[in-house]
Amino acid sequence: MNILVLIKYSLDIAEIKVDPKTCDLRLEGVPEKFGNIDKNAVEAAVRLKEKTGGTVKALTLGPARARDGFKDILAMGADEAILVEDPAQGNADAVVCVRVLEAAIRKLGVFDLIVCGFASDDGYTYQVAPRLAERLGLPLVSYARSLEARDGKISAERDLESNLQQVEAPLPCIVSIAEEAFPPRRTTLMDAIKAKKKPVTVWTAQDTPEIEQVLSENQTFSRCVGQKGIVVQRKQQILKGQSMAEIADQLIDSLIHENILKEGE
Amino acid sequence: MTAAPAQILVFSENTALLAELIGKAQQAARPLGWEVTALLCDEPAPGTDQALAGASVVYRPSQPVSSFDPVAVTGLLCRVIAEKCPALVLIGATRLGLEAAPRAAERIQADYAAWVTGFDISPDDSSISASTMLYSGVGSADYHFQSPTVILTAAQGVFEAHAGEGNPPACVTVDYQPEASPVKVTGYSDKPAGGASLEQAEIVIDLGQGVKPDDDRALINELAGLLGGQLACTRPVASERNWFPDWLGLSGMKVSPKLCLTLGVSGAIQHIIGIRSAQQIVSVNNDEGSAIFSQSDYGITADLYEFLPVLVERIKARGVRPC
Repeated sequence: MNILVLIKYSLDIAEIKVDPKTCDLRLEGVPEKFGNIDKNAVEAAVRLKEKTGGTVKALTLGPARARDGFKDILAMGADEAILVEDPAQGNADAVVCVRVLEAAIRKLGVFDLIVCGFASDDGYTYQVAPRLAERLGLPLVSYARSLEARDGKISAERDLESNLQQVEAPLPCIVSIAEEAFPPRRTTLMDAIKAKKKPVTVWTAQDTPEIEQVLSENQTFSRCVGQKGIVVQRKQQILKGQSMAEIADQLIDSLIHENILKEGE
Repeated sequence: MTAAPAQILVFSENTALLAELIGKAQQAARPLGWEVTALLCDEPAPGTDQALAGASVVYRPSQPVSSFDPVAVTGLLCRVIAEKCPALVLIGATRLGLEAAPRAAERIQADYAAWVTGFDISPDDSSISASTMLYSGVGSADYHFQSPTVILTAAQGVFEAHAGEGNPPACVTVDYQPEASPVKVTGYSDKPAGGASLEQAEIVIDLGQGVKPDDDRALINELAGLLGGQLACTRPVASERNWFPDWLGLSGMKVSPKLCLTLGVSGAIQHIIGIRSAQQIVSVNNDEGSAIFSQSDYGITADLYEFLPVLVERIKARGVRPC
């Protein structure tokens, strides 16, 4: 089975700091990596390949430095990685990103299965899989928790709020992987050495007419007009005392003061 | 003849969320003289009548459409949008909504934003702007839209439900034959039942990885009993221990109690997003450098196994009760 896995070089959102006075987001120096959700998707793709044979290609739209992250993905078992250098430099919203991905997918040729995470670790808007399904005219199995290929079909369990739904879809199709499904494998030194020999391709808009075309059709990359950080002011008062009982009493007093607790009659 | 008023169309298969979205839509529509309409895809769940009382019209398909079929729901949404031309479509940010909304946006080329925390309709030119969560809620982004129909999704707990008063809406049937989905449903299986209604709890006790995996939670349960609190946990606790099926956080539930007492919670932003609407946050953690303390009103730097027994004893000795 020929599988394409879509991954995103994401900001580590836990490391994004907000200026408490100006509410500006401090994005400089925030580490980036292929997200946990993306690694779940790679794991799902590699497990299917191990059962059915075939190849796994990983495709990302991101900055040139995303190349640094490919070694982990290739060590996990992807056979090849393709980076489309983001012409909008992170400023495009899902509408434009999906069109660039679509152009890249069409250029890569035909796949039996396209696997991606249900959302990206940083953007988290859940848009890529449904939009791609619409644009490519492929069935989408969203929020897959388990996945099996047989007789030219994919069977999966969709993780919904109230239950798990078992579904079957014909190939080719798109599958989005549910939260925390398919925990990524640990890779060995040998995996890392093998990964170094695997091909990595970089496409830029300048040398890829298909992508140039998308950009010329989308002059505005986003409807976003502003961004800021959210600061919730908390008292940040550390209760201290000679004994645990004293601290417990301080806490009880504070909660009485806040009208959360009251003392019994 | 005057033109029909502009409308806000609301859809969610989650009844509580439907009531919240209709509440917010009413609030936005009233000063502009706009109309609030709703779409039901299949048989109404209990409580739907009350949720719909804030809408003037409810659209229903000529054949029921399963809320477990995102493709059919997308088709229905697009049909209603094409026929009724709502200026704004508000959709519940459930798994269904978060799939159907971008699909519909793609089909009709509508502007779309996910995880909205607020929106405005300009009284001058009826243009729509919205704020959304950015970077999973670390920040927020502002949008200004241009398409004739704008689609937004919002999560449960963002907007307040309406009072449920008013006349029942007029029912209008929309002729719709669901397109056959290529994804065939072969069965369903249960997930562990959800916990008690955390959204309504006034006091939430939030357990993190600092609570030992072999903790029988007898003491924590006793504390919860004394405070009338509900237990909840972080995502790692939910996924590694068979304690609670649900968790608080970005990908889980978001609560806004009077008090959230965190025990052994480290304070990762993905978790904080689930509890930051609490009026007061009190945290017990033995690591004084823990990020949780900068997100708390009151912090106790202590081993929770030393602090909790004393706290329980003092609460009992002083006869303290929740207000």
